[in-house]
Formats: sequence, C-alpha cells, structure tokens
Amino acid sequence: MSEKKKKAAIGRRDFFKKAGLGAGAVGAAAVGLAADETKAAEPAKSGTGGRGYQETAHVKKYYELARF
Amino acid sequence: MADAAANLELAEEDVLRAHWYGLLGGVLRAAPDRAHLDRLAGLVGDETDFGQGVSALAEAAQAALAADPKTLEQEHFDLFIGVGRGELLPYGSYYLAGFLYEKPLAQLRADMRRLGIARAEGVLEPEDHIAAVMEMMSGLITGAFGDGADLAAQRQFFAVHLGSWAPRFFEDLENAKAAGFYRSVGRTGRQFLAIETAAFEMTA
Repeated sequence: MSEKKKKAAIGRRDFFKKAGLGAGAVGAAAVGLAADETKAAEPAKSGTGGRGYQETAHVKKYYELARF
Repeated sequence: MADAAANLELAEEDVLRAHWYGLLGGVLRAAPDRAHLDRLAGLVGDETDFGQGVSALAEAAQAALAADPKTLEQEHFDLFIGVGRGELLPYGSYYLAGFLYEKPLAQLRADMRRLGIARAEGVLEPEDHIAAVMEMMSGLITGAFGDGADLAAQRQFFAVHLGSWAPRFFEDLENAKAAGFYRSVGRTGRQFLAIETAAFEMTA
C-alpha cells in the first residue's frame, strides 16, 4: 500500500475509533450481523464473470466470528 | 484462484461498520423478537455521542423486553406498514422522487445487477426499502456478494442509495408519533450515517 494510502487508512481507523463506533462491540457478544439468516438481498446467481460468493468453510467461520 | 480467505481479513473498523449496517437493517425489516431484544439490551455505549445513543438503544430494548411483545410488533406495523401505508414510507424513491417505484429504484436495480446482488425469493417490497439497502451495504463491506467492494465502490453506493435520503428518514423515525423503541433506532441510524458520511469525505 502506498504511503499516502496507508496514512489515509490510519486516519480513517482513528476517526472511527474516536467516533465511538466500537461502542456496542464490548458486551454485544451475541449481536449478530442481522436478526436472522434470511435477508432481503443475496448474491446473484452468476453469469457476470465475477468470482461469486461461495459458502466455503472459511466464510462460514467468518460469520461465526463476526457474531460479536 | 487467489485465496478467498485473504479477502475476509477485514479491518477492524470495517467489521464494526458492517455490524452496524446489519444491525440497523435487521431491526428495520422486522420487530426484533425476545432473543434479539435480549442481545440489543446488552449493548454498551461509551461517552461519545454515538455511544450515548447506543446506551439509549440498549435501554429501549430493555423496556421493550419488559412490555408485551405485541406492543413492539404494533409499533413496527404502525410505523412502516399500516393499513394502506405506515406513518413512514421508508423507500428511497419516496424520499428522493416523492413516489414509490421511481427512478431511484431503477438506479438501485441497475447497481445491484452490476454488483452481483439479487433480490431474495419471497421478498415483496421494492428493493429500495431502507432495511434492504442497509443490508446491501453490510454485504458490500464484508464481500458477501462476491469480491468485497473497495472503498470507492462503497462510497459510490452509499452516496447514491443511502447518503442522499436515509439520514432524513432516520430523523423522521426519531420524531415519528408511533415511535417508542424505534426512536432510538432513528437516533442511532442518523448518528451512524453521519459518521459514515464524514468518513467517506475523508477519502475524497
């Protein structure tokens, strides 16, 4: 990452920290990303050439870990 | 094929952002059940403005838990659904064009196609419902729809489909007659989007 990009990324991280976005992370151990697994939007069945979204074990693990 | 796992190394602030988009989208789509209210009641806010709003949200969840569950369902119904219409019309087209099913919805559908986002089966509302757009934003951050959208793409999506109207919606929610629990949702949504707007401006 270029120096300029790095600086921007750090600025962004600090900004979010100061804004208090971490509020709710502590003690929100069980708040998942959504109320339940059904969502109004999902990945489109491909054809567009993108890599697409695959529910690999790693992805499932991420969503588990993200339930903080 | 590049290691898909590497793409899931999200920066801490992006995990938090996706979390809040998802949380807000979730409670807007449907009145949270007891289990969900329980988790919301456990949120802990710090001394920042946003943090204080989070504490208020946790208290609101606590109050909803102490009340009859039908009360919260009725509140959600009165606010967003209603007989004919709810007190609020939480759609981008309505806020931007004055009517449902307008150009902003067409623009969103085009962007969804481009980004590889499809409408889930069985969803009846138009895609520019606030809950759906918040969930889409969460997915763009985490890479749920394919490659995680980079910051420029997120900023573009945010500007067109959220920043342009959702802050006003959340403010309306905060001041809605039928709002009780959802008053806190309005406040947190408004504050969260203000943070997002300011952060995106930093990357301009």
